[in-house]
Amino acid sequence: MTAKEVAGRIALYALLAAVTFLVCFPLIWAFFTSMKPKDEIFLWPPTLWPETWTLANYRALLEGKDAYFQAGAASGTAVPPSAFFLDWFINSVIVTIGTTIISTVVSTLAAYSLTRFRFPGQRSVPYLALIGYMVPSIIFVFPMFLVMVELRLTDTLLSLILGYVCITLPFCMWLMWAFFRGVPIEIEEAALVDGASRLRVFWEIVLPTAWPGIVAAAIFTLIVSWNDYLFGRVFMNSMENLPLTVGVMHFFDGTHVDWGLMMASSVLMTVPMALLFMALQRHLVAGFGAGAVKG
Amino acid sequence: MDVRLERLSKSFGTNLVLKSLDLTFPERKFVTLLGPSGCGKTTLLRLIAGLERASEGQIFFGERRVDHLTPGDRNIAMVFQSYALYPTMDVAANIGYGLKVRGIPRPERTEKVGVVARVLEIAHLLARKPRALSGGQRQRVALGRAMARKPDIFLMDEPLSNLDAKLRATMRGELKRFHLDLETTSIYVTHDQLEAMTMSDLVAVMDQGIVQQYATPEEVYDRPANLFVAGFIGSPPMNFAEVELATEADAPVLRLAGRTIPAPAQFDLTAAPNRLVLGIRPQDVRIAAAGDPRAIPGTVWMTELIGSERLIEVEIAPKLRITAEVKSEIRAELNAPAAVAFDAAKLHLFDPQTGRALPRRA
Repeated sequence: MTAKEVAGRIALYALLAAVTFLVCFPLIWAFFTSMKPKDEIFLWPPTLWPETWTLANYRALLEGKDAYFQAGAASGTAVPPSAFFLDWFINSVIVTIGTTIISTVVSTLAAYSLTRFRFPGQRSVPYLALIGYMVPSIIFVFPMFLVMVELRLTDTLLSLILGYVCITLPFCMWLMWAFFRGVPIEIEEAALVDGASRLRVFWEIVLPTAWPGIVAAAIFTLIVSWNDYLFGRVFMNSMENLPLTVGVMHFFDGTHVDWGLMMASSVLMTVPMALLFMALQRHLVAGFGAGAVKG
Repeated sequence: MDVRLERLSKSFGTNLVLKSLDLTFPERKFVTLLGPSGCGKTTLLRLIAGLERASEGQIFFGERRVDHLTPGDRNIAMVFQSYALYPTMDVAANIGYGLKVRGIPRPERTEKVGVVARVLEIAHLLARKPRALSGGQRQRVALGRAMARKPDIFLMDEPLSNLDAKLRATMRGELKRFHLDLETTSIYVTHDQLEAMTMSDLVAVMDQGIVQQYATPEEVYDRPANLFVAGFIGSPPMNFAEVELATEADAPVLRLAGRTIPAPAQFDLTAAPNRLVLGIRPQDVRIAAAGDPRAIPGTVWMTELIGSERLIEVEIAPKLRITAEVKSEIRAELNAPAAVAFDAAKLHLFDPQTGRALPRRA
């Protein structure tokens, strides 16, 4: 390697390090802030590295409910928002898992039928679905709210699941459609000749082949339903039914912001997704890549 | 087990791809469906496999009518052009899948897979995934999958077309060998006449959804039933020329490019029309000395060296050229005078109206 190449390498890595730092800085800042006591958060000049480490913010979020019912409830004070944190967390987990299961299963089956069976609209459906996905969800949310009112589903987790399925299904279906188009039909025919039933072919041959695509679709759905704010804000109103994204906004009550709780919540919201990403990263790249190339 | 097709038709929408076929594939024979792309040969194979439903007609395996059965219930094996190996399974699982579906217990399965793998010399590859195999190895795995189940009928859809020329020649021999060992009725689809000629007991030459000729490779080559078969089989393709049938000194003669040649004795010319199409294979054309009275003079239009042979194209009339395949030692100058001659016994005659070969004398 020549001196010029070495210099180029160093410049490249310096640039990458800078970009990485830029991207990660909010997360790092959120983490350190969440570990600071309240008075240190507003210290000027600000400290990045906490002078005093504390888990008080996390304790408030995770043990808030017990603390309130042991002490606060008797005295008649209002329930602090932090008491609902675990409820919100569980709500978000239920809604996300529910949406992901429904969206992935339905889109996989729909996409398979779109690539393998002949029926009217077979060609146009995937593109129409993609157009549907391009329409901003703010356009859907109020009509859907009215539908939920009619169905008496407002303020239920089911309404959120249905809403998220509506916005994630088109893209998942398009993704899986692109994926299945890349799965040669001959391998299914070979399995039929080998004596397998259609269902068995789907289960033993098609699904394992399409696995990276399914993982990609599932992760996409997870991200959308875990991060959504709009639907949760419009569909839900009781404190205990909110998803995390909407719930944590209650740490911001118009007069002051509890940054410690806010940052601790952010960390707790980010960690599960970050872990999931690390575990599935390989599949994700393969999935989106394959879909893009073969679609 | 023989395979019998009765009045079998298949159409896709308004497009009739197979037109009322009656065909029998005799037991233990290797039969090739040969034809250009779009002739319906692959569709026919897929009908026999059960991957397509016939529009009309019936299919029998022996005495058993099968056209209503699913592919899995027909006890066939099929090798696909793309091999169609299961990408997520290793080689052993690929070969054993048909056995697994049929509920054969694992130890027995492993044993059968092992036997097939040894025969095909792929035993060392059993733990590999298809993507880690070369084209030839994939081909063998596809064959192994077909062999493991001991099928009644062995179907192959252009199985060699994705291999390079050298490997194709090797696999041709091996496939033929396997067929002889397995003694299973085999139906083989190809557009490659060399494969058809070298491997088959019988060849069905197809065009436009119709079997144009169904005979042994020798017969198809030596006695093509019509103009299509004559032009499709043989490389370089047969020369065709319009000729006039006439009588000179009480003997039938053919007039070609202003010359008269004696009519071939092997054809019955009693009901023949005046105008005929004469066919002669390049291998049966000789380059004669320019002054040879029995030869037809012309000028050399093009020469091509193809290894040990040379193709010489001689223009004997405007726009009428005859190709001769001769030894490479024979040289010809472009635009030099040359003459072509042929043995009357090697000529083919066709009726231009129907395209059929004239009847031969018994």
